[in-house]
Amino acid sequence: MSTLHVISHSPFGDNRLASCLRLLGPQDGLLLCGDAVYALNPGTANVASLSTLGPRLYALAEDLQARAIADSPATAVDYPGFVALSLDYDKVNSWL
Amino acid sequence: MAKSLLIISRQAPWSGPSAREALDIALAGGAFDLPLGMLFLDDGVFQLAANQQPALLQQKNLAANLQALPMFGVEELFAAASSLAERGLGADGLALPVEVLDDAGLAALIDRFDQVVTL
Amino acid sequence: MKFAIAVFSPGHAPSSRRALLFAQAALAGGHEIVRLFFYQDGVHSASANIVTPQDENDVPAQWREFISAQRLDAVVCIAAALRRGVLNDEEANRYQRPAANLPAPWELSGLGQLHEAAQGADRLLCFGGD
Repeated sequence: MSTLHVISHSPFGDNRLASCLRLLGPQDGLLLCGDAVYALNPGTANVASLSTLGPRLYALAEDLQARAIADSPATAVDYPGFVALSLDYDKVNSWL
Repeated sequence: MAKSLLIISRQAPWSGPSAREALDIALAGGAFDLPLGMLFLDDGVFQLAANQQPALLQQKNLAANLQALPMFGVEELFAAASSLAERGLGADGLALPVEVLDDAGLAALIDRFDQVVTL
Repeated sequence: MKFAIAVFSPGHAPSSRRALLFAQAALAGGHEIVRLFFYQDGVHSASANIVTPQDENDVPAQWREFISAQRLDAVVCIAAALRRGVLNDEEANRYQRPAANLPAPWELSGLGQLHEAAQGADRLLCFGGD
């Protein structure tokens, strides 16, 4: 079974991303949306560790673009892409 | 075959209604005999601390309701070892009998449930 | 495929809008939404009393329109709604409160409806927090 984890909180001053990364399984994916995409800002400590996820790292395109975050290691997805991702993985765990 | 649901509770007992509302999901599912598990993670482990006195804050006793979980058929209860350790809580003397899991154990736990809700 | 979508945040939260856009994309992709379930602060996404400034995105109104137009099953958790002051006529009368703010297309019901939806869906998606 594989899980798509979804995080929408900024990692600065919040521990959801850190907690998620500790228990992320080898088949799991991570989708960053909302303020969580700030973790992909170039030069942050997060972006280095996140890029090791390779193709399992995703970000909602509108959130990257709105925040002018270019050159992120995440695969940008739109809403149809988000729907497709939710079906590619066996289940979705949103860190509310 | 019923789908299994893991409820991950991450909030401290009295930081708003989140802890209670996570528990309510578990109790409702238990009442329908659904296969459920509950994991206490991050500040959620504070719900398990002993000797709490919620009445001093005019709060209900959440720990007492947590103890009802097995009666509702929710017996798969877990806590994250790292969350307990970071917060100075020992695995012994918790208000509820839980299985304590390390990070690999947590990944495996999430993996074996059909659905997850994290509050 | 069948989706159960649970919303935990109020209309002004980006996650409520995100849930709506996901739901729209799911239908546009030919999938089915078994139920929309509004829990925790998500009950505010259903409130008819929200007055959004004219120059802002009115997400509660968009939820209402979407649910009505697509004839979706939209349930608001009664326990979460009561404690947050989101009441239909029946509950406003029962508790002698001055106003009801939950008209159709919303239904007030219990957490059993969330579980039923989750059991009947291929995927359970939750939206909340920020």
